Amino acid sequence: MDLFQNGETAFDADDVFGIIKESVEGTMGGNIFQQNRVDQWTSNVVELCLSQLSKLGKPFKYIVTCIIMQRNGAGLQTASSCFWDDTTDGSCTFKWENESMHCIVTVFGLAI
Amino acid sequence: MSDFAKEKAARLLKKRGSVSSLGSHDVKAKETAGKTKDSISTLSYIEEPGHHEDNPRPTVQMENTFQLAPYRRFPVLTVNDILKDVLSSYLQEEKYEAELCRQMTKTISEVIKARVKELMVPRYKIVVLISIGQLSDQNMRIGSRCLWDSSNDTFSSHSFKNSSLFALANVYAVYFE
Repeated sequence: MDLFQNGETAFDADDVFGIIKESVEGTMGGNIFQQNRVDQWTSNVVELCLSQLSKLGKPFKYIVTCIIMQRNGAGLQTASSCFWDDTTDGSCTFKWENESMHCIVTVFGLAI
Repeated sequence: MSDFAKEKAARLLKKRGSVSSLGSHDVKAKETAGKTKDSISTLSYIEEPGHHEDNPRPTVQMENTFQLAPYRRFPVLTVNDILKDVLSSYLQEEKYEAELCRQMTKTISEVIKARVKELMVPRYKIVVLISIGQLSDQNMRIGSRCLWDSSNDTFSSHSFKNSSLFALANVYAVYFE
């Protein structure tokens, strides 16, 4: 238990940002929007993020959401509101876009 | 002449007295808020904030509970009803408009969080995620996946659609030991 009580328990947004960026760019980079592949992309991005996050080996539970939307001028707003321990838990959002689609990935990390 | 001065002084004193009593009354009313009328509690009310400034979060050593499971599981169906209720009441009549929806996402997420907190489910952390988007023949996919303990942690989700916009509300409840 002492292992979890030191300063490493805080959510490190920079680390997570890097992981998300890597997974999104690795999966989506260079592609244009194709309806039948969106399913695949969303699950790939989320899966990749989660597996990398779990490799950090921190005592956290993670929630990863991914939104992929075709780019045709339509608007989208998202917001979140949380009830948690501010000192340990945190979130990180990454937005990626090219000329044919938007991708928004949000990760919430909640300390156990 | 001196009589007049005395009278004035007395009146002033009275006035000041009444003001101060009014002030104290105010504080008391705020503090007890319709509970018992205890004059000592007024003092504690005044003292508290100063004490807090010195030490914002006193560390309290808790005893172990040795409890492994939640007292009460997170009521997914009740939360689903809340989502349904809040989304339809806020968005039924709305047309998509960027600024309005930006405000709306924030408002709705706060409202839902407050409603869920009112259920008073102990030992759960709550994450509320709202997306509102314009409907204009675009294709989109929202997916999420969680690394958690599936026996205790859960989520609730509801999507709403009217003629010009769609909204998705997700509530994740994560058990916290």
